[in-house]
Amino acid sequence: MLKHKTALLSNVNMDFTVRMLKKEVSVYEPEGYGNELGTLMNPESSYYAFGAETTFLILDLAELLGHEMEPSRAEALAGTWFHSFENAMKDETVYYISDAYLWCPEEAVFYDSGRKQALEHIWQKGLEALAERHGNVRILPYRRMIEKLGEENAFSRKMWYMGRIPLSVKAQERLCGLVLEKLRTEYGTPKKVLALDLDNTLWGGLAGEAEHTPVVLSDDRRGLAYKNLQRVILQMQRQGVLLAIISKNNEEDALHILENHPHMVLRPECFAAIRINWKPKNENLLEIAEELNLGTDSFVFWDDSVQERQLIKETIPQAAVPDFPENPELLAEAMGDIYRKYFDKPVLTGEDLQKTRQYAQNAKRSRLRETASSFDEFLKQLQIVLHREDPAENQERLGQLLNKTNQFNLTSNRFTPQQLSQMLKSNQKRIYLYRVTDRFGDNGLTAAAIADISRKTPVITDFVMSCRIMGRNIEYAIIEDIERDLKDQGFSSLQGIYAPTAKNKPVAELYDRLGYGLAAEEQGRLIYETTLPSRAKRVYYVKKEGMDT
Amino acid sequence: MKEQIISLVEEILKVSPGAITENTKMEDVEQWDSLSHVLIIGELEDRLGISIPLEEAVEITSMQELLEKAGCV
Repeated sequence: MLKHKTALLSNVNMDFTVRMLKKEVSVYEPEGYGNELGTLMNPESSYYAFGAETTFLILDLAELLGHEMEPSRAEALAGTWFHSFENAMKDETVYYISDAYLWCPEEAVFYDSGRKQALEHIWQKGLEALAERHGNVRILPYRRMIEKLGEENAFSRKMWYMGRIPLSVKAQERLCGLVLEKLRTEYGTPKKVLALDLDNTLWGGLAGEAEHTPVVLSDDRRGLAYKNLQRVILQMQRQGVLLAIISKNNEEDALHILENHPHMVLRPECFAAIRINWKPKNENLLEIAEELNLGTDSFVFWDDSVQERQLIKETIPQAAVPDFPENPELLAEAMGDIYRKYFDKPVLTGEDLQKTRQYAQNAKRSRLRETASSFDEFLKQLQIVLHREDPAENQERLGQLLNKTNQFNLTSNRFTPQQLSQMLKSNQKRIYLYRVTDRFGDNGLTAAAIADISRKTPVITDFVMSCRIMGRNIEYAIIEDIERDLKDQGFSSLQGIYAPTAKNKPVAELYDRLGYGLAAEEQGRLIYETTLPSRAKRVYYVKKEGMDT
Repeated sequence: MKEQIISLVEEILKVSPGAITENTKMEDVEQWDSLSHVLIIGELEDRLGISIPLEEAVEITSMQELLEKAGCV
């Protein structure tokens, strides 16, 4: 049972879906239906008394438009709905609003075949713009659910006439499943790495028996099933899933296929880490976790061998080990399920889309560290550059950094998108966001800090850094940038806070290392202070760019 | 056909197989409220192709009547 309070509002009768949801989640029971905007606009409504954290709005487009099928008038009506919704919505609630499927009797006689799509597109456009404007509005893929089931199976004319219930029992079951899936995505922590076997997983058959039995990977029959699986995995990779190979083969044979096979969709550069050897797979997985600086709980391990899966389940229980389908025809679909179950996120940012490249660069950094004569030498050779970026232009990433960073996070405060927008506008806060680059490439937006400047001595209330760039003394350069900025603003002292959690031990001594003195301890929080400029000696090799004031 | 109808009703009401018989009345089954009734009539048509006219469908109060209207007695 999910503990998050949820509501499902609709302009048609969805009572049966609500009834099914009730078994799985704490859900609001609407008073009738068809008044979704009225409910949202009335502060006295039982909906607000219930206090849903997540609200699903399932909207029947034909009803919403009052069966106005003339596109320009329909657009005006949809615009009115969005406008009213925007006036009624609350910053602290997450809304999932259905995209459109137009189901109405007059559609059968539209003379122009594009009309149905045009009307649906009006809704889609408005909805996308709304989600763009508000970080707490998401699009519920309702149309896809209907299309997968097929219109004839999804809708029931009889139920519509009897009780204004458009969706069949089957469709409402699917809708209930979709809502639960989105709730898990919203409140869960997604996995980061998909670790894959090669033989009989990415292709059929065994590599290395080349001439006699080439691997099964092609444009037809079983070979196509494997190719399609790779297509799904590539799309996942493009959406931020890191891929790894853990396979028992002769490395040369397997790499030859990865590099040269004409039907390979996934090429070596798609993978953030590759282990093709004869070592036990759990050892390889632990090595990759270390190389990528990620916990083993970030891994999904997929292998056709039940023994290998069992080994991982027993030795690394934090990793997820989904089942493997019996039949190659089911591979692509099974991978889609894995994506939705383990990797789906409510919002994708630019950082997600570049992840593999960044992690692959990290592997190169690790190798440099192994060859550099000393740690100082390694840091010098990295040629790190720190750039301060505009936080207002990168609000989603800022939120992701603050809300998802656990280790290098001094206070672990979490923020809603609305709190962030308010802080960005406030003249009592200075928000810092940094991009870190080095000779291997761009690490992306990987550090952020917030200073409260409302009092005589400003306070760094938040300071986070992605685990990707930890251990390179970059925090020294960041703190000096903040100190200099605040000094330029006229401040002569600065405080920092450390609030211990189960996960942020790595930064327990940060302010000591930075040369701050312990000033106070309040309810388990340690308050440190320094004068500005600080006289502490900090050794780091980071060039600061574009930060002259 | 009678068995199919009964098991469809049981499925929608989410009661155990055998809980519904030809003699069951709507008022005897807690789950058989007006919402479930609409779903039963709808699914009879969509899944089994049995169409009971709207005005008659709302009059039904028992399994007996449902089977009669569905044309299997």
